[in-house]
Amino acid sequence: MTDYVRYVDRPGWDDVVPIEQYENGSPLAPIFYTNEYKDVANYFRGIVKTGEKSERVLELTEHIIRLNPAHYTAWQYRYETLIAIDADLEKELKLMDELAITHLKTYQVWHHRRLLMLKIRKPIPELRFIAKTFLVDAKNYHTWSYRQWLLAYFNDEDLWAGELDFVEQLLYADIRNNSAWHHRFFTVFQSGVHDGEQDRERVLKRELIYVKQSISLVPNNASAWNYLRGVLEQNSIPFSKMITFVQPYTLPMEEQTTDLVDLDNPPPSKTAHLPCALAIEFLADVYEAEGGDSMLKATELWKSLGNEHDVAHKKYWEYRIREGLRVLQT
Amino acid sequence: MAQIDDNYPTPTSISQKSTIALLVKPNPPSPSTNSTPIQSGILDVNLHLGYLGRHLLQGLPARYTSQDASQPWLLFWSLQSLSLLKVELDQGNKQKAAEAILAMQNTTEGGFGGGPGQAAHLLPTYAAVCTLAIVGAPDPSMPNSVSPWTRIDRRALYSLFLSLKQPDGSFRVSSNGEVDVRGVYCLLAVAKLLNLMTEKLVRGTKEWIKGCQTYEGGFASAALSIGEGEWAPLGEAHGGYTFCALAAWVLLELEYPSTSSGLQLNLKNLKRWLVHMQGGEDELYGFRGRTNKLVDGCYSWWIGGCFQLLDKLEGRQNVQEPDCIWNPEGLQEYILFAAQHPAGGLRDKPPKAPDMYHTLYNLAGLSAAQYTCQPANTTSSSAPNSSASSNSPTGSRTASENPSSSQTRVPTLNATDPLFNLTRTHVDAMMSWFREEHRQEF
Repeated sequence: MTDYVRYVDRPGWDDVVPIEQYENGSPLAPIFYTNEYKDVANYFRGIVKTGEKSERVLELTEHIIRLNPAHYTAWQYRYETLIAIDADLEKELKLMDELAITHLKTYQVWHHRRLLMLKIRKPIPELRFIAKTFLVDAKNYHTWSYRQWLLAYFNDEDLWAGELDFVEQLLYADIRNNSAWHHRFFTVFQSGVHDGEQDRERVLKRELIYVKQSISLVPNNASAWNYLRGVLEQNSIPFSKMITFVQPYTLPMEEQTTDLVDLDNPPPSKTAHLPCALAIEFLADVYEAEGGDSMLKATELWKSLGNEHDVAHKKYWEYRIREGLRVLQT
Repeated sequence: MAQIDDNYPTPTSISQKSTIALLVKPNPPSPSTNSTPIQSGILDVNLHLGYLGRHLLQGLPARYTSQDASQPWLLFWSLQSLSLLKVELDQGNKQKAAEAILAMQNTTEGGFGGGPGQAAHLLPTYAAVCTLAIVGAPDPSMPNSVSPWTRIDRRALYSLFLSLKQPDGSFRVSSNGEVDVRGVYCLLAVAKLLNLMTEKLVRGTKEWIKGCQTYEGGFASAALSIGEGEWAPLGEAHGGYTFCALAAWVLLELEYPSTSSGLQLNLKNLKRWLVHMQGGEDELYGFRGRTNKLVDGCYSWWIGGCFQLLDKLEGRQNVQEPDCIWNPEGLQEYILFAAQHPAGGLRDKPPKAPDMYHTLYNLAGLSAAQYTCQPANTTSSSAPNSSASSNSPTGSRTASENPSSSQTRVPTLNATDPLFNLTRTHVDAMMSWFREEHRQEF
């Protein structure tokens, strides 16, 4: 770094006494920091020691954060400084727009944003910003949990209004995006009842049709099957209510018979890989819940999974057989 | 489930396809040819020891600056990797490690920071205390020496814990920091090791953890209360958070058992989800961390370790093969063929570079696989722990229950306690020291 100007040579920093990280001895597993990082970290330790909260602290912490966005102490100190000097938080949020995109996978950029939002309290523009970051990574965990926090914490009906359309767009782009499926579950079932969603019978029916259509399009999609299971369990609906829908997916392509258009029971797409292991698993769960003689049917299905359709999880299917038989005997 | 795209490609199935193309097993690994240990599916212990030694003694390249706030982790990842490989540091380096950790103790807040002069934080506190468990035990040959354990300020640590507690039973990771299950797990593991667990400290924590369980069965990063007994999980089911949530839950259950009518997790959904995280043959049976995501070597531990946590929770003492619900032999293929880097260290997947984090969590997963579900009739020429037989998960295994290295052609690692990811010897020594000799009332 030939053009790096050290803090000692910068105007307005000559009163700060930098502090080295190690005072004695050679540590184990030392990191070979660049001279720039060492310099700014030494000045940061110097500032923390005096407890100074001022405009120049914002400059210094931004410098560290750009070199190492996971430096949580710098973030923490920056936040305390912003509050102490009554800084313009909207301006800070602008800076975060840039840093969040470059450091998408860092906890601190998202947490800092949350702290700012608790003060600014204008969540609606945030939804648009988050949507932009999904163009870079549509499964970023921090972004999704931030969005869910934002929605549930502020819980404003204007905030929720476009959420289902938003999820649908993302699932349209990638029907296997499990983060989007989880968000759908969160929006519909795990965040209270939103405007226009009061008729729960209608909502439930809509969700079942949606997930069945999704399975019909791409049957071997664990996200969609997990959603179906989740919706049924959340609403205490027995899996057996789905048996007409599920059965065709457990059969090979040449045994498909459905020619009728049945909205409640859309058939597997013509290009699907059948039989679908996730459907066989589902059907076995139906038989297991019936108990009695049906348990043997469940056992046969688990055997077929372990021996043929899902060999990788053979031990699990054997366990399900043992459990099923144990329940049957007691 | 094996990933089949139903002739309907999307970004998820496209990246899945290109990943599978990279996960190849050398075919066939013949001992007669001049193949390297890795090509033959053997753990190259010396290669990895070289990698760890190089980083510990010579230092870490500048890209590790991103870990400047995780310095106790760098020590924990490397020293626990050595423990699993059955290597102990010499007394001089142990002292060096202990001094380095103690220099990161935050004397005003209590607890440990990510480096000297950094703010206290629950995650580095866990890594610091675990590192001290590995290097700080009183030296019986020097009865007058003072153990670094005496220098952990427990009173300050306990006040830090209380100061981070939230009304909903969760904890912030640091002052003004985020709330998530990583922090809750790290706090409980440390509280257990240092004998700081109190009812006051953990009131409401189980309810909050339960609130993190999602409809898929795995756990989210955190939960937000949305009304009487109702929780919104923030984020989808995830391997790392699931490990933290389950380990935290088991730590609490062992200390304060729920009544049968009390709070319960949905274990049926949890088991199903865990098992389905294991990939198929085309993924060399590695674990993914979320539904429809790619396999990654670190989940060998975050998911692989969960099965041992379930054994503890459900009171299974000696897990025999018929009780096993996952595929530990398969997982070893992923770790040995895909996760070992030809220049030493372990990694996420080819062609990525290795790092300390992936080195430990692959090795810990390999250890979990070796100690799980061994056929009851396997014979072994040597116990896994030549020096300390109490390192086996239950402390009571016999040689015949130990994995056979001739069968798997992998040197047997030390066992790791799934609650802490420390060997049993280190856990027992630290817990009994803080229980018997240094109990303080709070």
